[in-house]
Amino acid sequence: MESKLKRYEKIEFLGEGQFATVYKAKDVETGNIVAVKKIKLGSRIEAADGINRTALREIKILQELSHRNLIGLLDIFGHGSNVSLVFDFMDTDLEVIIKDNTIILTTANIKTYMIQTLQGLEYLHLNWILHRDLKPNNLLINGSGILKVADFGLAKLYGSPNRLNTHQVVTRWYRSPELLYGAKQYGVCVDMWAVGCILAELLLRVPFLPGESDLDQLTKIFQVLGNPTEENWPGVKTLSDYIEFKPFQPVPLKHIFTAAGDDLLDVIASMFVLDPSKRKTCTEVLKMPFFNNKPAPTINSKLPLPQNVRKLKELERPSLKRKLLDSAEGGTLSKRLFT
Amino acid sequence: MMIPSRLGLTPGIPDHPLCTSWHDSAWIPILNTGNVMDYFSERSNPFFDRTCNNEIVKMQRLNPDQLQNMTGLEYVLLHVQEPILYVIRKQHRHSPTQVVPFADYYIIAGIIYQAPDLATVLNSRLLSAVHHLQSAFEEASSYARYHPSKGYSWDFKRSGIDKVKKEEKPKEEASSLFQRQRVDMLLGELIKKFPLPQPQLPKINPTAVVKTEPENGTTENKESKSDKQEKIKPPPEKKPKIN
Repeated sequence: MESKLKRYEKIEFLGEGQFATVYKAKDVETGNIVAVKKIKLGSRIEAADGINRTALREIKILQELSHRNLIGLLDIFGHGSNVSLVFDFMDTDLEVIIKDNTIILTTANIKTYMIQTLQGLEYLHLNWILHRDLKPNNLLINGSGILKVADFGLAKLYGSPNRLNTHQVVTRWYRSPELLYGAKQYGVCVDMWAVGCILAELLLRVPFLPGESDLDQLTKIFQVLGNPTEENWPGVKTLSDYIEFKPFQPVPLKHIFTAAGDDLLDVIASMFVLDPSKRKTCTEVLKMPFFNNKPAPTINSKLPLPQNVRKLKELERPSLKRKLLDSAEGGTLSKRLFT
Repeated sequence: MMIPSRLGLTPGIPDHPLCTSWHDSAWIPILNTGNVMDYFSERSNPFFDRTCNNEIVKMQRLNPDQLQNMTGLEYVLLHVQEPILYVIRKQHRHSPTQVVPFADYYIIAGIIYQAPDLATVLNSRLLSAVHHLQSAFEEASSYARYHPSKGYSWDFKRSGIDKVKKEEKPKEEASSLFQRQRVDMLLGELIKKFPLPQPQLPKINPTAVVKTEPENGTTENKESKSDKQEKIKPPPEKKPKIN
């Protein structure tokens, strides 16, 4: 255990969440930069239960998964009563990119982000796992433009026909209508709704459905898509929290996403379907024409990076150059001084 | 029926961009330099491609100056002559300094038209010239008479009334001075961009020397430069009439 603790040299503090503190660290054995997530112990009562549940979920699920677009769990170690998880180090996340006004997100860029998200999620779904907390903030991106789905604290196996799940999942703005109506049995459709919201946010650069409460969230959804009825969503009235809303006129998506081509509008529409059973899956969405049409997706290394990451990269590069220059010119300079 | 053939286009294509115009009467009274681009980007305007960079910047609420840093399709306001004329250019941006124009659109009295390209104009002019020549020959041949004993002869008697009528029609001005100058300028630019192929025997063929680029000109054909200058000028009948 001691050896493991020494293996990761702390570089800097990155952030603190409800359950954990995250540090940037260097793996002394490989020289790689990693992120170390130290799980907080919490109160005595929580600690008596053993390890925190979200951390356990993350460990349980991530240990078995390996995909280019899912965050890699590299190592786990404990010392004393603490548990730390070691992840791939990621420079930024999609939320930072969306909020950075100096970045232009072209259709080609958006295509690359979407393909990576959907491919990671497709792998997850094929392994019968729901993420249940997709949002821009949980889609991490490294310096070479690779997107990885992260934060599996709410992820869960799905597919057992009689197991009930909680509907209190997913950050509200990305929560699908069936969850808001209290559905206890659901599938990949909840993740697909969230992906739709993320795509919309990439296009608009502001959250698409920023509800202030769960009811307001439903209002915002119906203002765009119109009200659910027994025709367009059979069985909606049987959901435990079903409420009738005042009627709204649906708004055509092309009036909202004014610069989106028809193929892209089709992709958005395929995920923003009120009836969860009619929502397309990752595999189906990836087969839609948008992903084969022009423009071709941006290659990962050419994706825009936020200012702070760009600066870091620029800082690294000249310093390296200077070192090379110094070593090359150093000799001649000293010689000159001596002669 | 006459218009498409005069434009040198295939007749029977009503939605060809050069045969189309668009306007929104609600906008026309309030059009100005500040809002003309918004007018142009109206959803129903058939000339506006909504996947262009302008719309992406607008949808993503970015600073309009960002357009310079994007590559791809964009629209710019090229020329303004308040309150009647606005010219908008559709172009492909390759870098902040390099753009390739695709098409120009002019908004005159609120109505948007696509400006025809030079090839279409030339096509149309050539076609109408040929058409008129052909009708002249057809008309001439209708007056030709043949008698086995006298041979061929002309007979103009019958159509005398028709002719008077036709002459009374106001003569349509073929082009304005401004148009002629612009077209000459465009042709000059095109010749500069795509110089005519170098002739094989320049010394024997003096007219060919005239066509060479000034950069290629050597000391030998310096003299020909002066008469080249003259040749490039428009023909005498197209010179401005100064009264």
